Amino acid sequence: MPTKTIKVDYLARVEGEGALDLHIEGGEVTAANLRIFEPPRFFEAFLQGRGYTELPDIVARICGICPVAYQMSAVQAAEDAFGVTVDGQLRALRRMLYCGEWIESHGLHVVMLHAPDFLGYPDAIRMAEKHGDAVRKGLALKKAGNSLMALLGGREIHPVNLRPGGFYRVPSKKELAPISDDLKRARDLAVELVHWVASFPFPDFEQDYEFVALRHPDEYPITGGRIVSSCDIDIAIAEFENEFEERHVPHSTALHAMVKRRGAYLVGPLARYALNYDRLPQSIRSLASESGLGPVCTNPFRSIVVRALEIAFACEEALRLIANYEQPDQPAIALEPREGTGFGCTEAPRGICWHRYDFEADGTIRTARIVPPTSQNQPRIEQDLAAVAAPLAAETDEIIRNRCEQSIRNYDPCISCSAHFLDLSVHRS
Amino acid sequence: MTAGAPVLVLCLGNSDRGDDGIGPAVAAKLDGRLPDGTALSVRSGDMLALIEDWEGFSALVCVDAAAPMERPGTIHRMDLGEQELPRDMAFVSSHAFGLPEAVALARTLGLAPPNIVVYAVEGASFEAGAPMTQAAAQAIAPLAEQVAAEAARLQELADHA
Repeated sequence: MPTKTIKVDYLARVEGEGALDLHIEGGEVTAANLRIFEPPRFFEAFLQGRGYTELPDIVARICGICPVAYQMSAVQAAEDAFGVTVDGQLRALRRMLYCGEWIESHGLHVVMLHAPDFLGYPDAIRMAEKHGDAVRKGLALKKAGNSLMALLGGREIHPVNLRPGGFYRVPSKKELAPISDDLKRARDLAVELVHWVASFPFPDFEQDYEFVALRHPDEYPITGGRIVSSCDIDIAIAEFENEFEERHVPHSTALHAMVKRRGAYLVGPLARYALNYDRLPQSIRSLASESGLGPVCTNPFRSIVVRALEIAFACEEALRLIANYEQPDQPAIALEPREGTGFGCTEAPRGICWHRYDFEADGTIRTARIVPPTSQNQPRIEQDLAAVAAPLAAETDEIIRNRCEQSIRNYDPCISCSAHFLDLSVHRS
Repeated sequence: MTAGAPVLVLCLGNSDRGDDGIGPAVAAKLDGRLPDGTALSVRSGDMLALIEDWEGFSALVCVDAAAPMERPGTIHRMDLGEQELPRDMAFVSSHAFGLPEAVALARTLGLAPPNIVVYAVEGASFEAGAPMTQAAAQAIAPLAEQVAAEAARLQELADHA
């Protein structure tokens, strides 16, 4: 049997730059390497020597799609180090802001980037010729998420209003009222979106994942909780480095994260959903049931349905928070810097985003460590790609390439964040 | 930006990435020089966020940077009623959707204004944190003149439609 190598030399419809090399020997897939060649960006290094107040503005630049995730984990780490807990309406506002990011990020990915794979279109522009209504809904959802981010964060990309201790400015109840109508419309659109994507054809592909996500006593996790897994992990966020490690691999500028005792794991919507199904409101659980999802989904191709569900959830959650909102007396709690280490971890749209900072006594950052969701998923993406390609080994390169690209987009990888997407090469021998 | 204005001038780019800052720089020069009622918008990316807003306009003038082809600083004018955006012209975007994709999607969805004119300036350096090159900087003033005249022409066209 010949050896064959399939190369996807430049991945489209993902954020950042990467490629895939697939090696097929004697009809067997022997290696699937997701090569991330976006250059390292050295954020952790140039945070050193900066003041803690600069954190949100610097880490926001890691990603234009999920800046709030980086900001939120960073400010939480500073607050943790300085012994302050941001609670009450300030916490509610942060959760609301984060809902905006989930809505815009998931809306973009579900409709504009991933749906064309399932319907056989090369991109959203061609898809819009037949599915213009769905594309308009996707744009409207993205706009609703952006509006919420702009209202609470000062602008929709790289928000400027978040700071350690709270916000620079908090809105009045009256200022929040108009966005409720937008969010109600967005929630209805999201429900229609769930039904639309649930009707897509899905490959029969179930995998045995170790899911990892945050879990909160009362809430579907966004801004906090303990780190739990579908195996035996249940730890405080400060204990992350006891259970997880990042490794360099020759073919990628992104680190590969592993559970030290076991190996690859999965973060993101499928993990959040499986580990926190009981934290979803009944309305969303009913919607899940209508769309054919049980409490756990192990088919990564159905992640598009879970993302759409999470858009509906984020709209409902933001509406609930707005309804209960009372303007806080102060926009932020005063912080007194002190020497120490702080940890932050929140649920970015793509999965947990973990931060650790060591601070000098005056709040200067001594060292920083940021573990983005895509580097955590990368080993698991490679395992899935090998499994996806295995039954297709005898097919044409084009069939293998299309299915692999669709598969990579199951994880909504943000390569700009992790480089620390895709050309596909199939090497057959 | 004034929704419902007949003409929208859209300047695209990131001032922190060398010659990609040509769009915002032209916008700064245009301040106060556009005809009454012409809307001016500056965006640093994410075209999808605003194509729904194009629906209310009768004409769109876009200013963006393009990758070098002949000589950095060269200004190209493309009337999309007469020609498509050339396939060999690489507009500078770090996002999945740049200007050509946004125009194509807006047209498919029926959101694109009937008249679209694109001004593209060839850049030389798009490095993060780099200053604008002299060649691109020298294009700012003449380009602002051309865009102001274009907006006036399109507005008159809209007024007499």
